[in-house]
Amino acid sequence: MPALRAGLIRVIVASFLLVNGLFPALWILLTSLKTTIELRRTPITWLPAHPTLENYVHAFTQQPLPLFLLNSVIVACFSTLLTLFVAALAAYALVRLEMPVRGLILGFIIAVSTFPLVTLLVPLFEILRSLDLLNSYPALIFPYAVLSLPVCTLVLMTYFETIPADLEHAAMVDGCTRFGALRRIVMPLAAPGVFTAGILAFVNSWDEFLLALSFNSDPRFRTLPVGITLYQGQFTFPWPEISAALVVGIVPIAILIVVFQERVVSGLTTGGLKG
Amino acid sequence: MRRRLADPSDRVLGVLLLSPAFLLLGGIVVYPVIRLIGLSLTDLDLSSGLPGRFVGIVNYVGLWSDPTFRQTLLTTAILTVVTVPGGMLAGLGLALLANLAYRRKWPVRLALLMPWAMPLAFTGLIFAWFFNGEYGVVNDILRRIGLPQRIWFNSIFWSFFAISLTIIWKSSSFVALVLLAGLQAIPKELYEAAAIDGAGRWRQFRAVTLPLLRPAIAVALIFRTITALQTFDIPFTMTKGGPGSATETLAMYVYQSTVDDLALGRGAAIAIVLALISLVMSVVYMRQIRAAA
Amino acid sequence: MLRRSFMTTALAALPTAFVTRRAQAAAATELKVFISKQERPSVMRQAFDEYSARNPAAKVTIEAGPTTSEAQAQYLNTVLSARDSSLDFFLLDVIRPAQFAAAHWAVPLNSAVGDVAALMKQYLPAYAAADQVNGELVALPGFADAMFLYYRKDLLEKYQLTPPKTWTDLTEQAKKVTAGEKDPSLQGLSFQGAPIEGAVCTFLLPYWSAGHDLITNGKLTFNVPAAGQALALWRGFITNGVSPRTIAQATTEDTRQDFQAGKVLFAVCWSYAWALFQGKNSAVVGKVGVAKLPAVTGGTSVSCIGGWQWGVSAFSHHKPQAIALVRFLSSLPISKLLAIKASLLPVFPQIYTDPDVLKVNPWFAAAGPVLASARSRPVTPRYNAVSEIIRTDFNAVMAGTMTGKAAARNMEVRLRRVLG
Repeated sequence: MPALRAGLIRVIVASFLLVNGLFPALWILLTSLKTTIELRRTPITWLPAHPTLENYVHAFTQQPLPLFLLNSVIVACFSTLLTLFVAALAAYALVRLEMPVRGLILGFIIAVSTFPLVTLLVPLFEILRSLDLLNSYPALIFPYAVLSLPVCTLVLMTYFETIPADLEHAAMVDGCTRFGALRRIVMPLAAPGVFTAGILAFVNSWDEFLLALSFNSDPRFRTLPVGITLYQGQFTFPWPEISAALVVGIVPIAILIVVFQERVVSGLTTGGLKG
Repeated sequence: MRRRLADPSDRVLGVLLLSPAFLLLGGIVVYPVIRLIGLSLTDLDLSSGLPGRFVGIVNYVGLWSDPTFRQTLLTTAILTVVTVPGGMLAGLGLALLANLAYRRKWPVRLALLMPWAMPLAFTGLIFAWFFNGEYGVVNDILRRIGLPQRIWFNSIFWSFFAISLTIIWKSSSFVALVLLAGLQAIPKELYEAAAIDGAGRWRQFRAVTLPLLRPAIAVALIFRTITALQTFDIPFTMTKGGPGSATETLAMYVYQSTVDDLALGRGAAIAIVLALISLVMSVVYMRQIRAAA
Repeated sequence: MLRRSFMTTALAALPTAFVTRRAQAAAATELKVFISKQERPSVMRQAFDEYSARNPAAKVTIEAGPTTSEAQAQYLNTVLSARDSSLDFFLLDVIRPAQFAAAHWAVPLNSAVGDVAALMKQYLPAYAAADQVNGELVALPGFADAMFLYYRKDLLEKYQLTPPKTWTDLTEQAKKVTAGEKDPSLQGLSFQGAPIEGAVCTFLLPYWSAGHDLITNGKLTFNVPAAGQALALWRGFITNGVSPRTIAQATTEDTRQDFQAGKVLFAVCWSYAWALFQGKNSAVVGKVGVAKLPAVTGGTSVSCIGGWQWGVSAFSHHKPQAIALVRFLSSLPISKLLAIKASLLPVFPQIYTDPDVLKVNPWFAAAGPVLASARSRPVTPRYNAVSEIIRTDFNAVMAGTMTGKAAARNMEVRLRRVLG
């Protein structure tokens, strides 16, 4: 009987988590199958009265959605990798090494993330122009890496701190260099942290609008968030089409989460802290 | 022997490891920030048609007598005080629930991450629609269960309520993500040992989970506070600051000054005040955490 | 076939004065323009190509960006604050020329135009005020827009009513029709009550109609009692049930969609709504009429002008060429071309009665008088601050968190702070 009760609680908890997390996304999915006029019906309808895929057809024919997706994937992947690399080195240094101004360095890195982007746009634009980087992938990859650097550094630091220094020393005795120990021992053991930092950085890049709008105005380098606003007119806001585009934008992230969760994270964590 | 020699000293290694971070920050941020500080000391306002003059700290002093600044500061403070603890508690709850053993992990994990993956600007629009007086899901549910409906955004209180709820929903996902990774790093043996000592669930939570989660909580708290102080997209898209300008935040005021009014000097000064508040808050947090550790 | 012949005749009529023929040897100048999806880049392309055909030295590249006013302001502000030369000319919202002039972002066009007064007299009257700042011609009209009163022809006919001349008439008609229809979801009047730019127009309509101005000769002439009455008029529609209580959140798009779904009797909205009302996904095809906006009792009918203006970037390396092109684009044949091909409202009054245009867009006949009655929102470099003040206080009254009188007084205090 207690097992049954525990099972029931688990089902309730899981349903709560699913509804809380997925309801808005589900609503967008349902909206993408409705017509504009159905959205103005009272009382409102939950399920589409006449489901239609027309909005997806519109979404794909009006704008080069696959191109925007590809651009977003390229920018998000490279900036995530860059942030993880830079943040991992910095976090390791801040955790493991004796340094006089540790707090100040950390404070500096965090302070950087606290300036409202809109005020930094013009000088950033000028820097990128002088480097001839406007309308290119690096124009977004580097700033996005900076956006996520503080949070990634802090997250990685907390996980590096939980890894016993002895493990590294042992590895170094076995003939690893310090970099080797970082790569082979520390990073795998901090896998949940690396995953978390990676997702945070990826989503940060995936969602960013202001820089993408200002720096990559050439349609060939346009990313998804800017692309989605192109469905809007000066006044028009076609929810069904925008929903379709949003669904297209959310699916890659969902796939990423599922794949990482099942393949990478569970694998690494189960093999991890046994020793 | 050769490998040992290849290992540089801590200080040299520290510089080496930190240099990519400094290069990136220096290249992308330091120059803009220096320019921003410079701007904040001028009265540059493009819509005045005049070149900016150096005016010292006039922009900063002027803020204290600026009613819009005071009002947006108050709004930002209220939203921070409500949504930081709200987001932290909701996130902790979600992380604990998601950390239970499920046969399939990915559906729960996906549900946990979805709010975070939802584009920020559209989150505001979607929730504004949920709270819409006529076409909103919230009123529809209230109608179905026979409760009175309301026009949420006609009231200052309920506008704050709807905005706060949206921010808490969105940010709890971020908090849960950071905390869940922390929970997974806690060795199972510790719980087993505690159980053998006769500790119940609550004692285990107090004695094992919370202390070991402290660093992760600190990270989440710092970033939750900074993002709360910078709240922009959700009120901007949900209420556009209304009713009136009751829900206009400091970050919205920066935007209004910089993009709408082209009062670049004033905008820079507000941005720097905002950044300073964030900096002070994170330093205070870090002090507290280190003192507790 | 018809279209082709129109094009040739229209362009043959072009005054050659500003279509400078250059020697073939001259290298082509590439002119880059910023426009949005809204402006039908494909139709604009035709206009640009026609120009290039007559003037082979100039080629135009289109940079098409997001259409929302915020995204445009963000983009243009960044590029122009950085004094970037990549854009040669742009289309500006009618409320922006004064700000662009003050920021020295747009080249004054006076010397290129010659007799400014004579030229501006040819356009709809509101544009002479909107595009000139302290005697400086900042931009030239591209295409027009204005606020209209949309009404349900079928319902008014059913109750033997004619479009209302005053807001009092409108209230009575709305009450009569909604009472007769017994449909609780039918709104009498829909307008923009959300704190958006459109709300500024909403507020100004009765204020102007009563004969008042916000700014006269650069000086604030805000009439507090009149503002209070304008606010009371709109608030009255909510309290007497003609408009729903949710109107304080209604954006332009909400008004349009509610009307399109057949849930609104009268709507105050911009011109873009017309085509959508007649399109698929509309419950009101063929049931829509357009009228001049009602006046306040004893006042005149006034509308609020919108539309887009061609301006030349102060940072362009090709200013003379860009100015010539902008003059071409703001000429009568192009306005007619845009009216026929893209259904964009003309900036010249006589095109509203042009048979070629009316064949494609019969409703322009009704639109003409509305455009002729339209006025320009205050022309000041501080317009955005003025707009913010009006729309937030207006919204507070619509939401019921502030009384009309208090809001009018508050507006005055805030406007004084901005305009001195």
